[in-house]
Amino acid sequence: MTVERQPSDLRAALAKTIVGQEGVIEALLLALLSNGHVLLEGPPGLAKTLACRSLAAALEGDFKRIQFTPDLLPSDIVGTRIFDQRESSFATVLGPIFANVVLADEINRAPAKVQSALLEAMQERQVTIGPESHVLPDPFVVMATMNPLDSEGTYALPIAQMDRFLMKISVGYPTRDEELQILDRFAMADTQPVRCVATLDDVRAWRAAAHAVHVDEKLKRYIVDLVAITRAAQNVAVKSAGSASLKAAELIDYGASPRATLALAFLARGRALLDGRDFALPDDVRAVAAPALRHRIGFNYRLATENVSADVVIDAMIAAIPAP
Amino acid sequence: MARKLTAPLILVVVAFLASAGAGRGQMLQRLTVEAFVLSADTMQPQVDEPFHVVVTLHVRERVSAINNLQLPMLAQLELLGDERQTVTDPRGTQYREVVTVVVHAAGRFTIAPATLQAIDARDGKPKQWFTNDLPLSVRSSPTRIASGVAAGLFSQIARILAALIWLALLVGAALLAIFLLRRRAPVAPVPAPVAEPVSYQRVLSDAQRRRHIIEDALLVLRAERTRSAAVRVRAAVWRVIGAPEGETLGDVLRRPGCSEGPLRDLLVALERSAFTYDEDLAAAVEDACAALERYAESLT
Repeated sequence: MTVERQPSDLRAALAKTIVGQEGVIEALLLALLSNGHVLLEGPPGLAKTLACRSLAAALEGDFKRIQFTPDLLPSDIVGTRIFDQRESSFATVLGPIFANVVLADEINRAPAKVQSALLEAMQERQVTIGPESHVLPDPFVVMATMNPLDSEGTYALPIAQMDRFLMKISVGYPTRDEELQILDRFAMADTQPVRCVATLDDVRAWRAAAHAVHVDEKLKRYIVDLVAITRAAQNVAVKSAGSASLKAAELIDYGASPRATLALAFLARGRALLDGRDFALPDDVRAVAAPALRHRIGFNYRLATENVSADVVIDAMIAAIPAP
Repeated sequence: MARKLTAPLILVVVAFLASAGAGRGQMLQRLTVEAFVLSADTMQPQVDEPFHVVVTLHVRERVSAINNLQLPMLAQLELLGDERQTVTDPRGTQYREVVTVVVHAAGRFTIAPATLQAIDARDGKPKQWFTNDLPLSVRSSPTRIASGVAAGLFSQIARILAALIWLALLVGAALLAIFLLRRRAPVAPVPAPVAEPVSYQRVLSDAQRRRHIIEDALLVLRAERTRSAAVRVRAAVWRVIGAPEGETLGDVLRRPGCSEGPLRDLLVALERSAFTYDEDLAAAVEDACAALERYAESLT
């Protein structure tokens, strides 16, 4: 008897290795189902790398890790052409970007020109080395990490690069109980490796199923309204740390792009599929709204001077749009 | 009571539901509710004879319009007209809505309370007020009885009765004329008895109120198995449980008493019928009807 594999099997397999961090696991799966990429922001030691490695192992796919450093070159990522003296011709050496799951660790440690080397790969799913373009494997998911605490020697990601990420997840510390579990689980010398629970073909089939998930007209309007309010938030009130009432629009330089609209719809479809439904609900949209919008909104200096968290502003904007 | 719904009736009910939902998007007003009453010009209407259902609201504030006032779903009735009047004076605002309706089948049924959502100006908290409900006993029309039994005999009796009534009226008029002629001094007018204001805080049976609304919603959804009807029924059920507009199903399920049992099933089924794809709509509405039935039964 053949048992059809479901995305929820993958989630269960990852949960066996990673304690807590349901948000990270769900983000990785949504990126996989939506054919997108994820930016993970959080302090070191929160299982970001383990999550990415486990995902690749559970899919029986290739996994590559690229440690971004200030001296990294674009060719270190995409590959280069080397002159072969015996053949008297150039040979192409493919870089570590050619994998199903690529972990771009501490992506903001490399200068913008290196980060931009990822742009073509992330958007076009191909890279150009010399005169030749090379198609990347399918599925292809970039998981990039950023450390928010250590800003010395880092470079801000270009806006165009940020927009390429389907979602940005803030990875938080585990709870006390979760940390106790981590202690028990990883105290053993030989931790259980992640079992392969799905194939790359399964992922492609899930992606097709996610694409077919129904998004009602009411939900489409809700999505558009959510993105539109990031561009005109004059009527959204936010409290500063000193309890002063501010307008969200005063803190924002630019709102989310239409790519955010598409991202919200993709992610809502993926979440519905993860939940076993073939139609999306307002809950799906609301659940993915903050991760899909937070890196696409340009906040100005007043966010820092008024001591307001970006997530507080985003939550206020989301709350200002009634769900259908 | 046999509930037969005709096509025009359904359209009217659905239109009425739509008008009931129209105010949902408005901000809550800050009001001091002094009276909120549902009444009818008769509690024993006759089949096919129009009568009036009246919602009266008095608030201390002077406002130009009343928002977020929801009339009950009048699924058993055919709506013939709706007239609203808002009168402002130094004592506040009197809102009166007169709905002209007609019922097509005899029996007993109860019109569920009208509701008002507002910020209570006394303590600044958002609240929901309910009117009384309205039990009606619908009688068969005398003309129908006559045609069904002995039309000839009845018409003869009717003629005699009419003659007697005319005679009584003539005698009454004569007595009244004599009385008026003999009256010398004007009599001080007797003040009209002031009706005891119905307290807006009157505690209604919550289960009873919910059941009426759910039964009406079931009638509506069975009669019109469309997406828009499902969306309106979903909104009506959310109002019944006090869920404000703009929440998601997840928010509503986190409310006390909503996370389990028939109510949870109902909320999930209505969400599906509101958002599923067209090919699944018929099955989703069927499930929602079954869930409405189960929930109504659980309220007994």
